[in-house]
Amino acid sequence: MIEVNNLRKTFTGAKKGKKNRVIALDGLSFTANDGEITGILGPNGAGKTTCLRTLYGLLKADSGYATIDGINVVENPLLARKELGIFPDKFGLYERLTAYEQIDYFASLHGLQGVAKHQAIETVISDLEMTALAHRKTAGFSQGQRMKVTLAQALVHQPKNFVLDEPTRGLDVMSTRVLRNYLARFREKGHCILFSSHVMQEVAALCDRVIIVANGKLAAQGTPAELCELAGESHLEEAFVKIIGSDEGVAA
Amino acid sequence: MIQFRALLTKELKEALRDRRALMMALMMAVMAPVMIFTLSKVMINKTIETPDIYVKISGAEYAPKLIKHLKEANILLFEQVPKSEKVMWDEREVKLTIPKTFNQDMLDGKSIELILNTDYSDKAMMSPIRRIQDNIREFAQSIGYKRLLVRGIDVRLLQPIKLIEQNTAMPNSNATFISMMLGLYLLMAAFMSGLPVAIDSSAGERERNVLEMLLCQPVSTVKIVLAKLTSASLIAVVGVILTLVLTSFAVSFIDLTKIGASFSLDGFTISALLLLLIPICFFASALQLFVAFHSKNFKEAQSMVSMIILIPAMVPIVTMIMDDRPKWLDWLPVSGQSLIMEDLFKGLPVSWNLLFFTGVVTLAMTIVLVLAMAKKLRSEKVVLALS
Repeated sequence: MIEVNNLRKTFTGAKKGKKNRVIALDGLSFTANDGEITGILGPNGAGKTTCLRTLYGLLKADSGYATIDGINVVENPLLARKELGIFPDKFGLYERLTAYEQIDYFASLHGLQGVAKHQAIETVISDLEMTALAHRKTAGFSQGQRMKVTLAQALVHQPKNFVLDEPTRGLDVMSTRVLRNYLARFREKGHCILFSSHVMQEVAALCDRVIIVANGKLAAQGTPAELCELAGESHLEEAFVKIIGSDEGVAA
Repeated sequence: MIQFRALLTKELKEALRDRRALMMALMMAVMAPVMIFTLSKVMINKTIETPDIYVKISGAEYAPKLIKHLKEANILLFEQVPKSEKVMWDEREVKLTIPKTFNQDMLDGKSIELILNTDYSDKAMMSPIRRIQDNIREFAQSIGYKRLLVRGIDVRLLQPIKLIEQNTAMPNSNATFISMMLGLYLLMAAFMSGLPVAIDSSAGERERNVLEMLLCQPVSTVKIVLAKLTSASLIAVVGVILTLVLTSFAVSFIDLTKIGASFSLDGFTISALLLLLIPICFFASALQLFVAFHSKNFKEAQSMVSMIILIPAMVPIVTMIMDDRPKWLDWLPVSGQSLIMEDLFKGLPVSWNLLFFTGVVTLAMTIVLVLAMAKKLRSEKVVLALS
């Protein structure tokens, strides 16, 4: 379970003598439950990535807190991250290692070893249908292949909680479906999955609950159907535009 | 432990697979022996051989005995210069003027003025000029002595005081130029061999967006820094050992006995050197990682870290020319090691206390750097690459 409570974060950058402050998070709160897929929607610059980075413990919130399975990410970052599988918004690969070695590396970082580790790597590789890539060096991989490796290294230790920042960008239809089925399977097993996306159909098809973030605040939340109802629209996309477009009025 | 092992294997794997970085890392090891070999060869030739000197002598016909004496010392007339060296000696313009009255003045016992005319500031001419001076003085002296002897005067009267010089330098000290160079190269190797690896695993990884991913994992930043440090330092240690081995191999081809010097890298010297240099390898890599993590991007890191190489290049020279060294230079990293190395090469007894102490100070500073980096990696500035 991932809980975010009243997060505030301001970035200050001094440019040309003037101080310009950007309020990235302005009291954002939400909860992502176990056994559910929670989608975060929001326009660019709404604070989605800042919020997720705070969850990984890369950024420290000015006020408010975030917990993963009840563990505060600021007070106990190492323990919290153990329960987390992360697919970040910016990611790179170790180009001199093979895909298998990278996944192996991240599995070891999560404390897996021996036969259990080998088993976990083989499982995730076959689940994501990347057996053919496994023993090639990742230099020269296509965007989609890179995504798969990153996904595999995020999920190899089968974390209780997944945080995925736009995991489907650049994936082809087949791979997107593989990923969707994969996430659905983990939902059945009772894992908590939080992911951000800009693809409305995907969110509508996959998510049990949707959180809409605008201007660093929670704009609305509920099932896709509830959101459509709230905005009085039949499509999630229309509902989304309506909800973020009006600052007042539709608050959940 | 599983984590650290995984971190270290990954760093080493990446370092060893980066052929170009590795080549650059070990370039120092190959370059040093070659440089030392050729330089020593040149130096030995300069000190023991007396190459031909061609002087434009005017009035040579007036003093045939002097010319013969000079000829025996390979100081020859310009007219005899071979074609290949003609232009060079023409440019150097060493002119000796012998007066017409040479023979008559010699008979009369008058002082004869010979004029040596050339550019004294030309470095290449220093040794030839000295040889011309010495030989003419020698020639004049032998005539003078003979004159005194014929008059029945003891020649020793001319030397009321005789200075007997006793050199306390060990035979090794004569090989100082080799050992000075070797010391410099070893320090440089310690700093340069790990450099590409250090930059690549810090600023390089951040630029390739893999550092952020690593920082999201349940690993303490101290472990991350230590793994990166260990891999860079190990490469540096390999570089140092290789430099040492190849140099002792190369030096064995040079006949140093010709200049009365001996130089040997025995087991004791090598182990003492390694004891000195291994902490330096760690310190150098830590410093490089520290600077690389603090710079904004890969390019900045590269130029900033290259500045660090100036430390091993400058410090030994500074300590060498400083007459009154402050005491703290003895135990500071790099300067302490370079001073002990100097003693070691001169064959002086090595102060083990001091060796141990500089080692400890060096390692302590390394630990401080590691902790500072670990702290830095926990701050959000590194993630956003704002420094």
